Amino acid sequence: MLDITNIKLPLWQLPVFVLIPLAVFALAVFFLKRFAYKRSIPTEERDWSVPPIADAIYDSVINRWDVRCKIVTILAFSFAIASLKHLTPALFAIGISSLVLLISRTSFTKALLRLLAIAGFISMFLIVMPFSVPVHSNDTVIIFGKMNWLVFNLRGLLLAATIAAKAVAITLLMEPLLSTAPLPVTLHGLSKLGVPEMAGQMVLLSYRYLHVFRHEARRMSSGMQVRGFRKHTNIQTLRAVANFLGMLLVRSFERTERVFDAMRARGYKGRFPEPAELHLKTSDLLITALWLAAGSALIIFDRIICQG
Amino acid sequence: MHEPHQHITRPVYDTQLFGARRLYYRYPDKTLALSDINIDIAEGERIALVGQNGSGKTTLVKQLCGLLSPSSGEVFYKEKPLEGEHLEKSRLKIGMLFQDPDDQLFGHTLLEDTAFGPRNQGLSRQDADHAALDALKRVSLIDKAYKAPHNLSFGQKKRAALAGLLAMQPDVLFLDEPTANLDPRQEQVFLDLLKDYSGTLICISHDLIFLYELCNRAVVLDKGRIHHDYTMSELVSQKQSLRMHGLDFSFRLVINDSIPEKTNTTLKSSSLEIINNNQLVAFRDYQYRYPDGTLALSNIDFTICENEKISIVGENGAGKTTLLSCLLGLLEGNGDFYFAGTLVKPRQRKALWQQIGMVFQDCADQLFCPSVKEEIEFGLVELGCSRTESEKRIKEVLALVHMEGYEERVPLHLSGGERKRLALACVLAMNPKLLILDEPTAGLDPQGEELLLSILSNLDATLLLVSHDIFFIRELTKRTIVMHKGRIIEDMPIKAFLEDERLGSLNGLSYSYRDKSSSTIRRLQHEHEHRHIHKHLHIQPQIHADTAHFDLYEHTHDHSHHFTHSHPGEEKEHDHAPHRYHDHNHPEHDGENNS
Repeated sequence: MLDITNIKLPLWQLPVFVLIPLAVFALAVFFLKRFAYKRSIPTEERDWSVPPIADAIYDSVINRWDVRCKIVTILAFSFAIASLKHLTPALFAIGISSLVLLISRTSFTKALLRLLAIAGFISMFLIVMPFSVPVHSNDTVIIFGKMNWLVFNLRGLLLAATIAAKAVAITLLMEPLLSTAPLPVTLHGLSKLGVPEMAGQMVLLSYRYLHVFRHEARRMSSGMQVRGFRKHTNIQTLRAVANFLGMLLVRSFERTERVFDAMRARGYKGRFPEPAELHLKTSDLLITALWLAAGSALIIFDRIICQG
Repeated sequence: MHEPHQHITRPVYDTQLFGARRLYYRYPDKTLALSDINIDIAEGERIALVGQNGSGKTTLVKQLCGLLSPSSGEVFYKEKPLEGEHLEKSRLKIGMLFQDPDDQLFGHTLLEDTAFGPRNQGLSRQDADHAALDALKRVSLIDKAYKAPHNLSFGQKKRAALAGLLAMQPDVLFLDEPTANLDPRQEQVFLDLLKDYSGTLICISHDLIFLYELCNRAVVLDKGRIHHDYTMSELVSQKQSLRMHGLDFSFRLVINDSIPEKTNTTLKSSSLEIINNNQLVAFRDYQYRYPDGTLALSNIDFTICENEKISIVGENGAGKTTLLSCLLGLLEGNGDFYFAGTLVKPRQRKALWQQIGMVFQDCADQLFCPSVKEEIEFGLVELGCSRTESEKRIKEVLALVHMEGYEERVPLHLSGGERKRLALACVLAMNPKLLILDEPTAGLDPQGEELLLSILSNLDATLLLVSHDIFFIRELTKRTIVMHKGRIIEDMPIKAFLEDERLGSLNGLSYSYRDKSSSTIRRLQHEHEHRHIHKHLHIQPQIHADTAHFDLYEHTHDHSHHFTHSHPGEEKEHDHAPHRYHDHNHPEHDGENNS
């Protein structure tokens, strides 16, 4: 016999528990997106004759930290966060991530945009899990009216909140990881850590040419639209989309050949010049040790204190 | 086809840089691309490599750069075969500017991209950065050093690609269509940069006026063979030869006096009142903002009447393409937009494609079907045409664009000119009320341009032409809308526009070097020898017995001789004026005794 605490609420309160929070969340996301998008538009052209990351405003401990240590530490800390099982340490993790975000002086708006990008994923967890986790002993469930088949499990809500908190904590770390050094330097750090150099080169070129392919796809799509193409659920649409994708692939392939020729013509022999010289200092190791200690403390707190 | 020849009357250079001997190249599918190429290129030469699309120009350049290996024969650089270690070293001294700058700008920032070559040359990071900054300064992009290439305009990308080469201080520069799609101001900047470059220059282009300004030697390729190798002046002056190779651009040199007379400087208010009855398009106080808030169009107020031929001009980034997107219903701005007298609301906007057709600047953007027939049919199916009606229209438009029998051909495998005509056919098949052409001459060889011009001249449709090509604007349109920084600053008859030098300098539409070169070429094409009987006055020394003196004796007589003269006109009858007086050498009279 399961020991379950049942709370019975009238049926009309179901929207209060589900629809109203969902609507509030959706509205918040909508307005935050607008706010973040407006904030992300530069009001004036920045001075492109100086490197953005070299600006005084970006000169932080995280910027000066050796990129290899930064990658290893942040990834290890992210795994530590992912392994947490309780909400309280996950909330602590958010605190640590926010502190790092503050120290790194990276853009709060960009971090917010990253959070909003995962808002849909988080909201799905928060809605679905309370209704879908299996009921265990000691669970508290809410039953609306006579709908015994649809119970709102508070353990499920707690579990969803924990997952959401972990996702938020890790997402907040992405800005300090990716925006405190130029992408080529970060990829160079990865290759120094043993990731194949070719993989780094591919990521770098993909990042550059994604914009070009996006523009090409957009122009081709306009070309189809001005000749009346509208997507329908029929064979004609399928054929047109297949032709579009095929042509995009052919053009992309031709471009990769031309890019490779252009690289060879400028002396490329399989390796990109190193974008930076990396020197490991004692302070880099010290920051790494401190941060990893914080990660270990979180796990201990989660496993021993919270479990107990 | 006339006989190939290599008549070289060019300056003698001391050091040979490149040499190709009995060079052949076949593509992987065994198509012969280059055949029996023999060429010497000396240090400091400026060579125009010309020929029709598909004549093998780019392939030859790739051979000389070492990007392709010959199927047979040899390529020499600095007297050594271009292979192995010598090739690796040579590449660092040979610069190649690709047609599409996006192919060449693979760096994360401009500085990083520009420093790529110097780093490969073995320079330290500091020295490479220094060389890169220096090169960026030369191309006036120093203030964009840390900007990502995808955030630059097309003209800036072109200059950035050139900076990447200049930073390597190359001995030789290969340029593939360096001015394609550039507005006149950017073109002038590019021309000045290339004129300042002191090394060897080999330039592929269809723009012979640009080449005439830049190069002194011309190599004409035809079906993978070198057909002519002579001076640039010789190339441009020989119309027959140019025509044989599809390079005759003389139609651009004809001075057209049939431009409508200037009636009033600004049509803005008057045109709006006159055309109410048959207006097709009308914008009233229209504006458009990009999603990031940038104002792309503001205070747009203009009207297009049925059967009008209008051009829109303006520098790159003036807002022309955005305006076209609004016109096509791809973008929606604020303000009133009327089409055929009806206010365009979201519902009408979605149906605009049935009334407005557009040929894109890069026609590859609108060709994606596996055959020409399917390509044209695509729009007709969307229009709901029956199979019989579609077949009929396909035949009609293919005949109109001179592409009969192309139904089963693959659009991707067509030449640039053919693709442009196919894109036009696709649009014309849909019988649009308004035809929009965006830079129709981009990437076309002169023959393709001439053919396109003749097709467009015979079209009886409302035409909106967006172009930097003043010749096409003058030939095809009667009214010009001038855009600048997202606004319409003038709306005037074409003649008034062409006469207004102020607009040219404001919009970067001034073609002063082109006008000068065109005038020189026009004169060259009409300099030739004549033999005819004529009366002339000449002066000669006098010999009386043993006494020779130089009392100048003047007399007139009739005799035949050669002389070179120049006159304007295009294949027009002209008078040689036999009674005219000429200054010329008269060697056969020197020995005469006049007593």
